[in-house]
Amino acid sequence: MFLLLLQLVVNGVLLGGTYLLLAQGLNLVFGVMGVVNLAHGAIITLAGLFTFWFATTTHLNPLLVLPIVFIVMLAAGAGLQRVLIEPIVNSGRKAELLSLMVTFGLAYVLVEGALDIFGSEYVSLPDLQTTWVIGGLAVNEALVVAGLLGAGISGALQVWLQHTASGKTLLATSQNQIGALSCGIDVRRMRAVAFAVGSALAAAAGVLLILVIPLAAPTADTLTILAFVIVALGGLGDYQGAALAALLLGLVQSFVGYYLGGNAEYVVPYLLLIIFMIVRPQGLGKAGRPIWSEKR
Amino acid sequence: MRETSSPVTLCCRLATLVAAACLIAAPMAHAEGPIVIGASASETGPLAVDAGYHLHGLELGIAEANAHGGWLGRKLELKYYDDKSDPGTAVRLYTRLITEDKVDLVVGPYSSGITQAVAPLFNKYQRVAVDPGASLPDIFVAGNEWNIQGIATSTGYLEGILPLAKEHGAKNVAVLSLQSAYSLACGKARHEQADKLGMPVVYDTTYALPQPDFSSIALAVKNANPDVVVACSYYPDSVGLTQALQRVGFAPKFLAATIGPAEAQFTSAVGALANRIISNTTWWPSLKTPGNAEFIAAYKAKFHEDPDYHAAATYSAIEALGAAVKATKSLDQTKLRDWLMTHEVPTVEGMFKAGPYGIGTQFKQYMFQIQNGDRKLIWPKDLAEAKAEVPYTGH
Repeated sequence: MFLLLLQLVVNGVLLGGTYLLLAQGLNLVFGVMGVVNLAHGAIITLAGLFTFWFATTTHLNPLLVLPIVFIVMLAAGAGLQRVLIEPIVNSGRKAELLSLMVTFGLAYVLVEGALDIFGSEYVSLPDLQTTWVIGGLAVNEALVVAGLLGAGISGALQVWLQHTASGKTLLATSQNQIGALSCGIDVRRMRAVAFAVGSALAAAAGVLLILVIPLAAPTADTLTILAFVIVALGGLGDYQGAALAALLLGLVQSFVGYYLGGNAEYVVPYLLLIIFMIVRPQGLGKAGRPIWSEKR
Repeated sequence: MRETSSPVTLCCRLATLVAAACLIAAPMAHAEGPIVIGASASETGPLAVDAGYHLHGLELGIAEANAHGGWLGRKLELKYYDDKSDPGTAVRLYTRLITEDKVDLVVGPYSSGITQAVAPLFNKYQRVAVDPGASLPDIFVAGNEWNIQGIATSTGYLEGILPLAKEHGAKNVAVLSLQSAYSLACGKARHEQADKLGMPVVYDTTYALPQPDFSSIALAVKNANPDVVVACSYYPDSVGLTQALQRVGFAPKFLAATIGPAEAQFTSAVGALANRIISNTTWWPSLKTPGNAEFIAAYKAKFHEDPDYHAAATYSAIEALGAAVKATKSLDQTKLRDWLMTHEVPTVEGMFKAGPYGIGTQFKQYMFQIQNGDRKLIWPKDLAEAKAEVPYTGH
């Protein structure tokens, strides 16, 4: 019994690590820009499908793609922000609605592009499928790599935000844009940095996700919703809250899936979201704010 | 005295003549135009892999019919739209095909769930539809008049696995079913069969797609420790479940999944884990059905891949529909329906023969196993190309 519970905890923690990376990019973009990037799942999926193509074409380790897509999406994210998002930032109260429409459109373009380039089929990589059994505890290589790298990259994001000058500047912008402006911070540049890093984090999540679950272009919407649920559970703009939410979601899904079956596991994220919206709308973290908050 | 027509009168007469010529020519031009066959196809969404074969079979059936002169002296043309694996979208698309595009004939979509959604539409518009993607028998019941099943029923999916496993000493079973019409029917049938065979079902669950992670289900299976795991699944969950069982370190003696292992993509997705998986098919290359060898050769030439049973089912649907059109010399829906309900048509998939309310009666189920990268027919025994290799090793 103890071994079973331990196995469920290990599975839940590893799943949580992947979820964390899935959500951090979205959280960063929302925190700094107040934009819910509806193209987030499309970027994840595109990166995952590219990883599949790379690994099956070159027969090299799929993780080699990670730094490549990270850098490419940093540049692409900055470009997209300047061209698509920045022009509508100063539209007052319409900005949020316009940004939703723009990122929704971007999601469609990316998904259709992925369909044209990679096809519509679900793909999955047979790499890193070794399972180690340690004292009766089964630990899979792909889940460990995805979970640890996911948590590691999210941890690096935290260190950057909390302990470097550039990170603190970005964090300050996310906490209070007017305050940041009055301190001489180039808020416009920070918005580009946030969207670039957010996109790069999404791409990194895609590389790791294809190791764990089958992906197809139409999966993009589901991933955007899942990431949004984690961010909302953690409290919008709260990075530590998102980490707790990802961990909580992974653990609850692990236990619910085992004891109540796959159907119940499927609804867990949405059920948790409803419960949190009623009981603790500010989310799990200390710095989070409810999704209806107008504070920027 | 002869009257001379004014230029205006001449123009009027000319216009009248042109209009009359157009009126006469229009039906003639229509009669010589192609026979348009309408369908929705799941080009995207979770069903895309299997539905891709479904669409290829349809395209090939029409191309082959055209190569042999078409039907009633007219060429055939396929008109299809992507239903995104969504039943609601398929209903809208078939409505458009019937009422706006005014196609001459329709062929049912891929998957039981989507056919279940569009079947009432065919009854409403009185359009005969051969349904090659609908294994669910519940569609072909009292009230159905225009749908005819074009594939073996889902209750027979993997019907050979439990007797085969029992012969090899397997004692208990786990049944995993996707929340879809065909999967649930398949799972229920296998559960009931296990009860009859005296093989306790130690774990039975359903799940939805897209499932982010199958680890918990796999762990529950491992904890129940069954000798046989039967997954009534589609392609993505067949891949996900196979990987998840390995991730929790569990390899049952028999691992069987209904849809997925037949596709070439399955082996590239799960690698060595595919070895010794058993799966279901309603068609096989070695079957001595009429035109089977030609079908395989034409399919490979056109699509540069091996066909699977989904392709054979849609190809056979076109064969059956063509036989009806030629026999009745008509595109009249009632005549076609009555002919298809009462006649047998030999097809590459087997004998097309409708029973009460359009249920398929003669198509058969077979089982194959992936053995070192090759797919070998292992059941029924009289057609088997190889014996089942036991146990499933999970690597």
